[in-house]
Amino acid sequence: MFRYPEGYPQWQSKGLPVAESKAKPLTDGPKSDLTGSFTGWQLVWTLIGIFAGGLALNLTPCVYPLIPITVSYFGGRSGTGKSGLVGHGICYIGGLSLTNSFLGVMAALTGGLMGAMLQNPLVLVGIAAVMIVFASSLFGLWELRLPFWLTQAASKSYSGFFGSFFMGVTLGVVAAPCIGPFVLGLLTWVAARGDPLIGFVVFFTLSLGLGTPLFVLALFSGRLKQLPKSGEWMNWVRRLMGWVLVAMAAYFLKPILPVVMQKYLLPAIAIAAGWHLGWLDKTTATFRSFAVIKILVSIVCLVAGTYLAGNQFFKGPSVRWHQYSDQLLADAAGQGKPVIIDFYATWCAPCRELDDITFHHPDVVKFSHDDYIMVKVDLTKQGDRRYDRLLETYAVKGVPTVIFLDTSGHERQDLRLVDFIGPDAFLIRMVSLR
Amino acid sequence: MTTGSSRSRTMWIALAAVLATIAAVWYINLPPEIVKATMDDVRVEAEKGGYRLVDIDTLAELYETRRDQILLIDTRQEWEYRSGHIAGAVVFPMEPTRWARWRKKGELKAILGPDKQKSIFFY
Repeated sequence: MFRYPEGYPQWQSKGLPVAESKAKPLTDGPKSDLTGSFTGWQLVWTLIGIFAGGLALNLTPCVYPLIPITVSYFGGRSGTGKSGLVGHGICYIGGLSLTNSFLGVMAALTGGLMGAMLQNPLVLVGIAAVMIVFASSLFGLWELRLPFWLTQAASKSYSGFFGSFFMGVTLGVVAAPCIGPFVLGLLTWVAARGDPLIGFVVFFTLSLGLGTPLFVLALFSGRLKQLPKSGEWMNWVRRLMGWVLVAMAAYFLKPILPVVMQKYLLPAIAIAAGWHLGWLDKTTATFRSFAVIKILVSIVCLVAGTYLAGNQFFKGPSVRWHQYSDQLLADAAGQGKPVIIDFYATWCAPCRELDDITFHHPDVVKFSHDDYIMVKVDLTKQGDRRYDRLLETYAVKGVPTVIFLDTSGHERQDLRLVDFIGPDAFLIRMVSLR
Repeated sequence: MTTGSSRSRTMWIALAAVLATIAAVWYINLPPEIVKATMDDVRVEAEKGGYRLVDIDTLAELYETRRDQILLIDTRQEWEYRSGHIAGAVVFPMEPTRWARWRKKGELKAILGPDKQKSIFFY
């Protein structure tokens, strides 16, 4: 199959009626992908992951053995009838959601107040360190213990629907050693985003994940006997959640890492997790499906890590970049070639997106070889005096900033970019320069 | 089955999965081939698909005389369309791959619109 786009050029050369469409003006998007709100598919996938996380937390040593007892507690209280069980289940999930969502919103509001501090590398390192510390707890290095009076108060049992509700509210306290580190890690992430709505939604989803199995089991209490027996495998689940926290810490550190690590740290963690959980870890369980699940999870981690690393490694050719010099711009104007200047920094996430996606697109790459001069300016080092005049001339206020100069060397202000756009939109701007 | 052999079996499965992923990623990231086509290639392709080829002058005449009875569809990329297209044409970008053919089937119907009497011209 092939393209043969000669129809339009011939039509145009005969002077027959043609039309153009102007490039749409850009609206400002978020500068960092660590803060602010996020919607669409990213949100959906994140929530699915968090719901799965909540489900997985049910399999940890602090929660799993309590499930049969809790379910019979529901049954005992209501006497007979399914509607009573449903009511208890709803109260339980309600209590869970109340505590967790409250914590989530509080964390987000606190984080929101911190604002720009999150661009500070020291703060990012601190946050990542906190998450690693919590991950180490899940790996078994230390146990999270809450004050005795708190655990005592949480273990009280009340009657009726309020009793179930109270159990939901206090699950976080009672199961703190297992759930605590993961919840605290998630709270840190939500605080960093600073958006209370996201904080609420994330923790509400977590609560749903935590509470739904119990709810379902309460409805089908006959199935309780079919549940696998508690065992060492529950600690394997804890370790899995530990790796999730490690990955979150790496995600926080990404902007301040050197470029090679930015590309390969997360894949490396995925591969290490897969190897550890699948082979180094010798846990077995009495129920056969555990071995299958273990292998499946580790293969998924290995494949995901390989996929991410491979995409970076096998990336096709990038745009042909030129080093900036005043002479270069003068030559370009003389030859009537448009110039595109990309101001970037290694810690800027949209800059990396532009590089990974837009500047590797075959059409953009083709243009950069012949018809366009594309210049990259690295602003990573603060206090670099070399580019001061350049920054002043074009009033560059941040990164990324992409400046479009037409064939006579004047800037097309209406095409200037301050955020990531896809290859198609970028190409539209490129051709408007001619 | 002893534990030893089942462990080595899982290792082989994992290794196979990783190698398959590497191969898939390498393949996906290959730069697309730029195939230079000639007019003869176009003629052969049109015959195979049962399409008529129309030259510029014929189309120009139809365009001037019976403007409202023809539908012009630009199949180039959206950025090419925006930088200049035949006045009144709509854009329907499609890469020359099997994947694009399968993906775009539904959208084509929407572009064609309700009027079944119009003659359709792709360029």
